[in-house]
Amino acid sequence: MSIFKLNSDKQITLQAIGQKSREYKLRPKNNSIWQKFRIPMSRRHLLKWRTSYNKKSLIKERRLEDKRPLWWFISLISLAGSIPWLSNFALSAVAIFCIYASINLLWSLTLGTAGIFSLATMAVVGVSGYIAATANVYFGVPWPLIFVIGTIAGLIFGGFLALPSSRLDGLYYALLTLGLAEICRVFISQIHALTPTNGSINNVSSFIPEDWYLQRPGLLLGAASSFVLLLLALLIYRLVNGETLGRKLQVARDDEEFAEAIGINYHSARLKVFLISCAGLGFIGAFYAMYFRSISLGVFSLDQLMLLFAMIVIGGTGRAEGAVVGTAIVILIDRGLFELGPMRIVIIAIVMILVTTYASNGITGIREQFRNFRHRFQTQKRSLITTKGGEIMPEEAIDIHNKQIIYSRRFNSRLRNYLKTLINDEVIAEHKANPVGKHSYELTRLLNYFRKAEVPDKYAVAQIGPLKDSQYKIFAFTGDPEKPPRVVDERVYSSKNEAYHAIFLLRVNDLLES
Amino acid sequence: MDLNLIIYALNLAAIYSLMAIGISLLWSSVGMINMAHGATFVVSGYSTFIASGWLVPILKASLAGTAFYTPVLVFSLTSVALLSGAIFGAIIYLIAFLPLHDKPNFAIRSLIATLAINIATVQFLLWSFGPRQKALPKLFGFGRIDFLDFSIRYDQAATIIGTLLLVGFMLLWFRNSRIGLEIRAMMQNPEGAALSGISIRRRALPVMMLTGSLAGMAAILLSQTSFFSPTAGALPLIKGLTIALLGGLGSVAGAMLGALIIGILEVITGEISFLGQRYVLLIQFVFIVIVLIIRPRGLGGLLDETRK
Repeated sequence: MSIFKLNSDKQITLQAIGQKSREYKLRPKNNSIWQKFRIPMSRRHLLKWRTSYNKKSLIKERRLEDKRPLWWFISLISLAGSIPWLSNFALSAVAIFCIYASINLLWSLTLGTAGIFSLATMAVVGVSGYIAATANVYFGVPWPLIFVIGTIAGLIFGGFLALPSSRLDGLYYALLTLGLAEICRVFISQIHALTPTNGSINNVSSFIPEDWYLQRPGLLLGAASSFVLLLLALLIYRLVNGETLGRKLQVARDDEEFAEAIGINYHSARLKVFLISCAGLGFIGAFYAMYFRSISLGVFSLDQLMLLFAMIVIGGTGRAEGAVVGTAIVILIDRGLFELGPMRIVIIAIVMILVTTYASNGITGIREQFRNFRHRFQTQKRSLITTKGGEIMPEEAIDIHNKQIIYSRRFNSRLRNYLKTLINDEVIAEHKANPVGKHSYELTRLLNYFRKAEVPDKYAVAQIGPLKDSQYKIFAFTGDPEKPPRVVDERVYSSKNEAYHAIFLLRVNDLLES
Repeated sequence: MDLNLIIYALNLAAIYSLMAIGISLLWSSVGMINMAHGATFVVSGYSTFIASGWLVPILKASLAGTAFYTPVLVFSLTSVALLSGAIFGAIIYLIAFLPLHDKPNFAIRSLIATLAINIATVQFLLWSFGPRQKALPKLFGFGRIDFLDFSIRYDQAATIIGTLLLVGFMLLWFRNSRIGLEIRAMMQNPEGAALSGISIRRRALPVMMLTGSLAGMAAILLSQTSFFSPTAGALPLIKGLTIALLGGLGSVAGAMLGALIIGILEVITGEISFLGQRYVLLIQFVFIVIVLIIRPRGLGGLLDETRK
């Protein structure tokens, strides 16, 4: 009856135990129906609120299961809001952060979602950037169209790259694609038409008007459009990783045979994700050429690729927040310590080594890693506790249906441990002096424990001989009605109290041995 | 066709095979892709450069004009290159192998760590020596040996003979020494080796030092024909990696065969008039891709067992 009372509007105070009580919770009215907003054209909600009932009070409460959208929202809004107030140097840093973060997001799709260990990212960006810039400078294609050209170039280049990806696995493919950027660099550096400019294509027309270039309004526009690029990359990441393709590949990652058995063609899903990622990288390539109004061979350098790889590794592979956080950290070191020269890259490399040595999946994976560690640590500690005394081991406990037995065994073991601390010479002397009668607290506890022992192996005193000057012997019950008590030892005691004390000593001995 | 092209191809093949064998050997015995191989290459090149700055004046003062000058110079600078390569290999062992080898995902994590070592080393060298190219002294002098129809430059001859000697010694050591036996056991079956009491932790050190000194040898040989800069390690690293892939990671014979094929391919591509030097890398890459599409485990599977 009390349950129904509590489930009404009446609130009760609960004791705060553990961390869950500190979480923010909604307390909806009991019978209210919640109209949750759904994103149009989909069945998805904006935030992952989950309703549950408090097990103690049975009060309905709503908890935000996944808080990452809030963090994304706060950080993106603060980044966008800070753009107008930043210095020129910081503006270019923000723009570069956004461009690199977008590249890394699309790269994470290949590495994490598709599971193809491709290192050809900068080659795709560079080649499509070069093709887009060529279309603009030498064929006079207007700038809005070269986004399309860049995307198509990326898609086609990605198609070529995908050819060996189905045959080669893991590291083999990574090593194969590692050299691709260098090959493109050498190839383009030897094109005769580009020799006067040292391999770069300049004067690419852009969404930033020419007279604004490197001026305050141009930098603002550049940062703002790079931010939009980042948002687009996040959207693509979300649409690919969170929807059908991503789910299919998630199943394939867990168990390839199972995925095949339920009709998931993960090979084609993998290929599609790879091609989408390459097309997106092609788009970024065109954006890159337009943002700098030129494209040079630096985009293909091995150091550039390694810097990008450092970002992904530091942040954590295969997750969007890892790509963005890693980029932010590397750009902060790279731009913030600009006066250090090449040494700042050394610092980045040291951070990279530290992260790979101590974190299993980058900085964003640390939380999960810590929780796993804590769980393991706690389990180990718990298993150490349960091995003590006469308690039931966890493996055994699974088979015992009546859990009361487990609890009573545990209680008895703890009681024994406590009683062992009470035994000392004084208590034994007190019992010897006066086996029957009023005793001290410690002795009473001990005797009460001995008295409630089970009948099997319980000690008993037997009177031998005539009633007068009779002698006493100690027996032990067998617990079996058909078998007589057994003699514990042949010693004969002359008085009852002496026998009582002998039994006491035997029981103390048993207790200490248990 | 000019017969000297064969010599040129052999010369290239020798240097490539030194890089590729190092990468291949390390992968098959320790299970680690050494991205810092390029850094080892550059570091031994620079230490040889510094050592030659010290040694050449001393040797010139004491031995100039005598027959001992060239052999002593070659011997001392080669040993400097081998030694510095070995020391850098030990440094990689300490940073990228020792803390990581018992952790999950060792292959990828060690790849990342060695990549970081590569970045750090190249940037450190840029910081301390600047981006300008350096030239090492010509160890073997200028001149040619005319033999039958061949005309071999001294440094080409030295490269081919030196590589053959070094690889030959290495294989001999693998065959006849206790450590070599243990390393071969690790290559064949790492778990079996561990179960029969071979400590991969301990045996990785000589392997790393050996592969490091191979890179050092490649550095001193390549520096006879080209200049040296902090970023010079990138191309040998990439070529070594792709040739090791072509040879089927883990097979010394495969790596040598791959290097030979790539060397010949490079020479032929350079000679064909409508292709020329520009297409050398591209054609090598396409060739390797085609081979790998047909045989994903490279050429090595034809010759011996490779690590899965």
